[in-house]
Amino acid sequence: MTSPFESVMADADLEGLEESDLSLLETLDHVLNSGLVIAGEITISVADIDLIFVGLNVLVSSVEKAHEVLRDRERRSDDNR
Amino acid sequence: MKLYAYFVSDDPGVRVPESVTGVGGSSVRLMKAEDLLVGVSESDDAPVAITRDNVVAHERVIRSVFEHTTPLPFRFGNIVGEGQLRSYLHSHQEALQTRLLLLRGRVEMSVKVIWQASNSVNAETEAVPVATASYLDQTKGGAGAAFLMAKRREFLGDKMLADKATEITSWLKERLGSSICTESVSVRPRDKLVVAAAHLVARTSLGRYRGELNKARAERPELHFLCSGPWPPYSFANIDLEFKTHFGVS
Repeated sequence: MTSPFESVMADADLEGLEESDLSLLETLDHVLNSGLVIAGEITISVADIDLIFVGLNVLVSSVEKAHEVLRDRERRSDDNR
Repeated sequence: MKLYAYFVSDDPGVRVPESVTGVGGSSVRLMKAEDLLVGVSESDDAPVAITRDNVVAHERVIRSVFEHTTPLPFRFGNIVGEGQLRSYLHSHQEALQTRLLLLRGRVEMSVKVIWQASNSVNAETEAVPVATASYLDQTKGGAGAAFLMAKRREFLGDKMLADKATEITSWLKERLGSSICTESVSVRPRDKLVVAAAHLVARTSLGRYRGELNKARAERPELHFLCSGPWPPYSFANIDLEFKTHFGVS
């Protein structure tokens, strides 16, 4: 069984993103948003602000960024032809 | 001293390798309660900081077990006293065992579908005029008319996203239905529509699922996909309907 760290599959438009970033986003999405909860309570702190996107906002932003990178790359390759 | 909880399993052969450390570098042990085994590590009472290291450690412990069996994974940040944990396991034993039975031999696959809504939503909402001052002057409309027109535009945009979400969800289910056991779908409409689906798939059906998913992705080039897995079944683990999260500051 492979790890999702090795098996995030994004479509071609997402190739501009680092796979490790996508893996971390997916890990956070799973580990923080779902799972068994004891006695209805969870205690976490938000010390590490750089990780506190917690959700899809960053993912969507990343997709937009990836599209930009891809478009730039296509433009450059068209110019070179 | 309290315990940080990682997973529950009913597999008597479950083991956490000694080399696998938990949150904060702590060692992980198995606690037996009722007919269940729980992966725990010692913890103080302080809130667990959401750091890359802690999140990865939480996932690493669960994954070390998930390689061989399917546990019920705890959400990040469960810290409880041993007595409270034992009491929880005792009072929820039946529900936990039922859920473990449902998840046995299965894994979670994640599919997020992102749809660029702008063109079609704009076309729909542009049928409603924007309530500029000159427009309101010409039509003798007041602030109330402006408010209602803005609401109308908003409503049409929301409805369009909701319709699209329903269509994407049905389509995905139709394409993957034969290889999934159950699913959990959430829709997060913002500027772009995101449909997030978690599919419970038998370990033995992963090849078929991936084949069907690749075919489906090829069918809809206008959609963007982010697919990952296999995951421990986080989205199918919770047996309670509601929970509270306490945010501390450190």
